Amino acid sequence: MPAMRLEGLTKHYGDPVHGVTALAGVDLKVDQGEFVAVVGRSGSGKTTMLDCVGLLMQPSAGRVLLDGVDAGTLNERQRAELRSHRIGFIFQEFNLLPTMTAMENILLPLRYSKGDRRAARARAEALLAEVGLADRANHRPTQLSGGEQQRIAIARSLINQPSLVLGDEPMGEVDTETSDLLLGLMRRINLESSVTFLIVTHDLELAARTDRQIRLRDGHLVSDERLAA
Amino acid sequence: MEILRNLWRRKLRTILTISGIVMGIFALTTMGSMAEHFNYLLQGGVTYYGKSVQVGDANGGAFSGGYMSASTLAEVRQVEGVAAAFPSVGVVAKPGSTNVVTFGIPDYITNYSPGSDQYSAFKLSLADGRWVTDASRYEVVLGSSFAAEFHKQVGDAIYLPVRPSDAPPGFINHRFTVVGVLNRTLTAPDSSAMVSTHDAQTLQGESLPVALRGKVDTYSLISGIVAYGKPGVDLDALAGRINAEVPSVKAAKPSTLVETFKSGGAVFTFITTAAALLALLIGGLSVVNTMIMSVTERVREIGLKKALGAKTGNILTEFLAEAALIGLIGGVIGFLLGVALTVALNAGDPTGGLFLVTPRLALLSLGFAIALGAGAGLLPAIRAARMDPVTALRSQ
Ligand SMILES: Nc1ncnc2c1ncn2[C@@H]1O[C@H](COP(=O)(O)OP(=O)(O)OP(=O)(O)O)[C@@H](O)[C@H]1O
Ligand SMILES: [Mg+2]
Repeated sequence: MPAMRLEGLTKHYGDPVHGVTALAGVDLKVDQGEFVAVVGRSGSGKTTMLDCVGLLMQPSAGRVLLDGVDAGTLNERQRAELRSHRIGFIFQEFNLLPTMTAMENILLPLRYSKGDRRAARARAEALLAEVGLADRANHRPTQLSGGEQQRIAIARSLINQPSLVLGDEPMGEVDTETSDLLLGLMRRINLESSVTFLIVTHDLELAARTDRQIRLRDGHLVSDERLAA
Repeated sequence: MEILRNLWRRKLRTILTISGIVMGIFALTTMGSMAEHFNYLLQGGVTYYGKSVQVGDANGGAFSGGYMSASTLAEVRQVEGVAAAFPSVGVVAKPGSTNVVTFGIPDYITNYSPGSDQYSAFKLSLADGRWVTDASRYEVVLGSSFAAEFHKQVGDAIYLPVRPSDAPPGFINHRFTVVGVLNRTLTAPDSSAMVSTHDAQTLQGESLPVALRGKVDTYSLISGIVAYGKPGVDLDALAGRINAEVPSVKAAKPSTLVETFKSGGAVFTFITTAAALLALLIGGLSVVNTMIMSVTERVREIGLKKALGAKTGNILTEFLAEAALIGLIGGVIGFLLGVALTVALNAGDPTGGLFLVTPRLALLSLGFAIALGAGAGLLPAIRAARMDPVTALRSQ
């Protein structure tokens, strides 16, 4: 059973006549542990696809199945549960809460689910170290550079030990060296824990270093290439 | 925590909002403490008058009026069901001076009947000194406010009745020695001076118009009788029997008197309620406004939290807690300011003051403040909790 499956995924914004069709029937199967890069021009529907997969948005038509479960059959509360336990998010724009420290931001997804707080803190510290910001635990987002904030967001996406991570340009604002480091980090977690990654990126060089690259154009899936590692 | 940080982030706005609540709760506390003081006064009346039968002259009212012959006492004692009956003789302590403060009970001088305490539901106790006896002459036990007002303590001398500035010709008073001071009761006895029945009758005679003085034997007159029933006797029925068997007197039904006291309390309940409504209006509107702004500012934050798994209830709780905390802080400050004002005003008043802050008033004020904050924050919090995560996250 594929970890994630999209069947005719369609999303219209606004009214049917004057509205925008952001996704026009996307079919896709992703197995557990795959590392998939999503590319495409601005406005091609990448963020919309991630929002649907992340159960943040109901598609206009088609289905999203996670581990065989049709997301359309879940209520809002069940979707929230699933998000907090199974999915890690890195958003395109607003990721960190300005009033919280780096550490608190990383722990935020666990705030709404039960679990061992002490173990969570230890894991957060380990993640901070992995993204190279061990000494910045108590800094606020405004005291961090754009790239550092992005790294905190990556650490946060992994705190709930997700089986699927959705990253909307997680390396958007970092230099090549750091972006290599972050990709390496995600790759390692991907291999070690066979976490599935779906990463939107504009950086084709980066995309070339994943298992698989899919391309969207005007809401259609126009190419799906498996790359030899 | 996060809530405090959120409040701190918008210091000025938080301070203004809290000020709104402070004002409201301040009003509630001061008005409420006035009402509480009055309630205690009334409660004293309810206790005392509910458990005794007040007997007056047939032509007079329940509390005031004419005189009756001291021999009537024996007739009342004969009535079936009467356990004991005591004479009451009283004169005003400051004749001529009208007490303009309606809360206060005017100072008065009354007789003390040794032994009546064992029947009365309202127990008096001495803070200092001793009681007067039937044999006492020109000795007095002062109520706490009375003593404070004239700065008297045991061993001091006091002239009674107190000479008013506009004393009529022929005004007489006597030098009394203070032999005891009562504990505070927060009700009528605080403003009384108690003398022996004989002394009270002396003062009664001298309070008559000059033309009448000496024409009547003051020692054969009393102004009323307080009767106590035997255990289990219905006092309303006892009052009826006294009226039937002793035609020269009129006994009031205790239940009627108690009703009178209770209806007096309604006015003050109204005042407190009005103050509470004022608090609701001022404080509530400022919290509503602040919470709406707070939600609007934090739309993206709400979106992020919901995206990361926060449920509707989590967001609702966070905003409600914030609103309730605003209420609590405002409530504590407003209450403390109210207490400070009442303490200051009470300190300047020799009779002990108009305000009484009780534990239940403290609970009411703080509880009201929290409920007010949370109540006013409810709609904005619901709006926040219901937001769609994607829309919220993408908004600017
Ligand atoms: N809330 C919305 N209402 C109307 N149209 C929208 C809305 N969100 C997105 N769109 C439209 O849907 C299309 C796809 O948007 P989406 O954000 O998915 O693109 P994207 O591939 O993520 O672009 P980018 O690379 O710029 O982030 C665009 O044409 C966009 O204008
Ligand atoms: Mg996008």
